[in-house]
Amino acid sequence: MALDRSVSRRRLLQFAGGAVAAGTLAACGGGGGSSSSGGTLKVVGVGDQEAGLRKLLDAYKTAHSGFDFNLSFAPADQVQTALRTQLGGGNAPDMHVVYPGNGSAMSMAQLAKAGLLADLSGQSWTQKIPSGFKGAFQSDGKTYIYSPGSSMLGAIYNKKAFATAGVQPPTTWSELLEVCDKLKKKGIVPIALGAQTPWVTQLIDYALVPGTVYAKTPDFDDKMAAGTASFADSGWADAMTKYLDLQKRGFFNDNPNGTTYEQATSMVATGKAAMAVQVSAVLSAFRAAATSPDDLSMFPFPSTDVVADNWIPAGVVVGIAVSAKSKKLDQAKSFLDYCGRQENLNTWAEAVSCVPLYGDAKVDPALTSFLPALKANKAVPFMDQRWPNAEVQPTHFAVVQELLGGKTSVQDALKKMDTAYKKGA
Amino acid sequence: MTATVAAARQDAARRTRRRRHSGIVPPWWFAVPAVLVYAVVVLYPSIAGAGSAFTNWSGIGAARSFVGVDNFKQLVQDNQALGALRNTLLLTVAIVVVQNGLGLLLALGVHTGIKSKMLLRLVFFAPVVVSPVMVSFLWKYVYNPAPDAGLNAALGAVGLGGLRQDWLGNPSLALWSVAFTVIWQCAGYSMVIFLAGLEGVPAELHESAMVDGAGTIARFRHITWPLLAPAVTINVMLSTVGGLTLFTQIIAMTNGGPGYATDTLSTVLYKQAFVYGKFGYSTAVALVLAIFVAAVSFVQIGYLRSRETNA
Repeated sequence: MALDRSVSRRRLLQFAGGAVAAGTLAACGGGGGSSSSGGTLKVVGVGDQEAGLRKLLDAYKTAHSGFDFNLSFAPADQVQTALRTQLGGGNAPDMHVVYPGNGSAMSMAQLAKAGLLADLSGQSWTQKIPSGFKGAFQSDGKTYIYSPGSSMLGAIYNKKAFATAGVQPPTTWSELLEVCDKLKKKGIVPIALGAQTPWVTQLIDYALVPGTVYAKTPDFDDKMAAGTASFADSGWADAMTKYLDLQKRGFFNDNPNGTTYEQATSMVATGKAAMAVQVSAVLSAFRAAATSPDDLSMFPFPSTDVVADNWIPAGVVVGIAVSAKSKKLDQAKSFLDYCGRQENLNTWAEAVSCVPLYGDAKVDPALTSFLPALKANKAVPFMDQRWPNAEVQPTHFAVVQELLGGKTSVQDALKKMDTAYKKGA
Repeated sequence: MTATVAAARQDAARRTRRRRHSGIVPPWWFAVPAVLVYAVVVLYPSIAGAGSAFTNWSGIGAARSFVGVDNFKQLVQDNQALGALRNTLLLTVAIVVVQNGLGLLLALGVHTGIKSKMLLRLVFFAPVVVSPVMVSFLWKYVYNPAPDAGLNAALGAVGLGGLRQDWLGNPSLALWSVAFTVIWQCAGYSMVIFLAGLEGVPAELHESAMVDGAGTIARFRHITWPLLAPAVTINVMLSTVGGLTLFTQIIAMTNGGPGYATDTLSTVLYKQAFVYGKFGYSTAVALVLAIFVAAVSFVQIGYLRSRETNA
């Protein structure tokens, strides 16, 4: 009964909204426009997407006289509130940010299951999605999201700070500890950590886990899904212990739980800190905060002393999708078809410092050191993209903050993640 | 002295009765537009939305099914929600006691004959009119954990460097840091209500008590405090409801962290709906919170009103 009432309410409100809109148009003496052509496409993205998305929207507008767009951005931590409310209320923008794979309330799989995304499978670029990435783009065999490529996760470092301490990017865990030690002795914070910003808390684990878990158990995600593996009894424990070891050795800034992402960015950009474990998509933000953008580069963050085991995390970057209920479905799909052309894909990928989804385009020089691992098939998608529900990731954020605050143990933290994982889809 | 206070009360009651009988009480149907708007905008959506508490709806899409009282069963076993309940109660007690205590002291302080009292009232009330989000961001700067910034810098400057803290990053401290911000912002609100109460205390009572030889403390205890009972009731009620439903400052300052250290029932229900995608469960938490707030308010108002009558 309650369900029927709420549907009726929505219809009533839609009707009321329609009546108001019709009244407004009549009052203005205007007529209704075509629903599928002309008009302004409403687009909502997140900040990390701006450089690439705006560039392509501008280029598309120049090439298509009837096309216009209204682009706005939601902060990453508010996307789930702002956009989900619009989606739930039936007034979603024509195109909006969506996270690849599964694992968050705004992920492709979750929204596709709810029937809120338009199927893009008919577009030619979707045939070029590498097989290893299909899980990030597809649900039930249909493609629902466009993304320009994959972001590398590693250490963004300040070359001047490294030069001051006379150190080079490390290739093993032991070398990393030595480098941090030398930096610390020079009075430079080795690793800036802004763990007050929840999504930042996960990055060091994500950098370590490819080596401590996936290099030995490449099918770890399948085993987790089958219930034959757990976080607590896996290399996740090794990764989290190493994460805490970095804190115990004093290699982070003081009070990481009270430090924000922005403060950590500023510390590295100004050379107060030497590095921060981050995704390449934010390189532009670090460069913008630096005196000279060339001071900054990236290297893979080593997790073991066996160089061959140091796999890298490489996740499909945050993408964009078309709302299934958009009244400008054709226009929005045409734009994404345009984004899928090789030259346009390259433009967007270059703007957000990611490796293009397909083709052999030039990549940001800062990412050069990641390419051998990528070519050797030693890259692992960001872990949350295959987690079964939207609860595991925020649980991970919280337990890392508890670990850094000395309020829990590695085993208890991982057990909480296992409990969240077992809640299923 | 008690007899004098009782006489003052009877006088006030007589004045109220006289107003009622003089016909200046507005007719009930004046309230109809407001009641209608409230019913359509608040009551109906709330009652209709409560149905979601018995479903597994994700908040988006049409898929949902009836799950009976499963969400409520889950709630009583949910460690995160139970931790949040503990935080909510601690925050509420701190806010009710300290905010109102501070508000009363401020009210007594500015209810004097000094020339700058209007300016002081403005200064103390100023934080109330600032948006809670803005206040939260301001205090995030104050609580900067760097030793040379904000509160830590101030402590260092006055030779109290040893008291420097990671105000929002320390799980044992973060809840109290947020509570202090809320109290700082809202104490002015309590002050204004107490001031209104103090304005209603007849000066002649104090004068006659002074003639009888009563000191400041005796006059406060036997005249001011009993006559402030209605103001105490309003302040305690408002701060209790505010504490039990505290949300904005927490989301803006700590997002419930570090870990779950500052989660309240309001942040839990928000996260369940928008972060975990469990709108049905979130509605169940909201429903329980609403019933809890209503129950606490009824008990409180019953007790405080009886205190007003007996005072």
